[in-house]
Amino acid sequence: MSELPKVGIISCSGEDCPGGNISREATLRVLHDLRPDETVTICLPLFLAGGEGERGFAKRFPTITVDGCGKLCAAIGTARFSSKPTVEINLEDYDDFSSLKTEEKWHIQESSKDLVEKLANDIVNHVDEIRKISE
Amino acid sequence: MSDAKKIVIPCSGIGKAFGTVAREATYQLTETDHQSEYKTMCLPLLVAGDQEAIDLLKKSNVYTIDGCPKKCATLSVERIGVNVAMEVMVPKVLAQNTEHKPGSVLDIGRNGVLLAKDIVNKILEEGSD
Repeated sequence: MSELPKVGIISCSGEDCPGGNISREATLRVLHDLRPDETVTICLPLFLAGGEGERGFAKRFPTITVDGCGKLCAAIGTARFSSKPTVEINLEDYDDFSSLKTEEKWHIQESSKDLVEKLANDIVNHVDEIRKISE
Repeated sequence: MSDAKKIVIPCSGIGKAFGTVAREATYQLTETDHQSEYKTMCLPLLVAGDQEAIDLLKKSNVYTIDGCPKKCATLSVERIGVNVAMEVMVPKVLAQNTEHKPGSVLDIGRNGVLLAKDIVNKILEEGSD
């Protein structure tokens, strides 16, 4: 049985930008379908609203932050309250980012499903790499 | 009616269906018939300490929708020194509308959408000034 550490994934899930919904969807895809036994998450706002237990998250788990825009709330918030993320992913670095539509903050459009998959696969690659290094 | 903006902030919860219901309710309120009156804002901006977001909340009427007793939306707003005008807890709304039990975090289903509508109605009925 594997003793490798689980990897934390923290999505910004920002409600007011299309990238927040994409980051959330891709993160859930990894947590539920692609690497359910190797990953854990925490609601980002718990760093501000919660206590020391929640703030120990990124100290306990090597953590990947997934941000939907250049504000980098997940990366900055995680570093501010817990520990510097092992990997910081910013959706703005993807070519498809500029084609996101405003309404995607509520409903992901058919045209963005590939971006969700691409982002999810990149998260998975980072998860596998982090666990490989921990071997 | 006050000139202050009405800002609805859901909890950003990613672990439970109630977090998705809070999000759905926010969009029902801010992206449909009531979008001229209600806006939303990314809660994570407060975690990152975004000053522009904090300043805007300080001059707004803030409505929070929380999916669990951790109350991330309400407590995050209060921690920056802003009073919440109305606080809605999704499980409490479900207790009053038990037929609208949502599905999963990935797909809240028709009942989840209806539960979100219950939340919208509650805010419109009880939160208007």
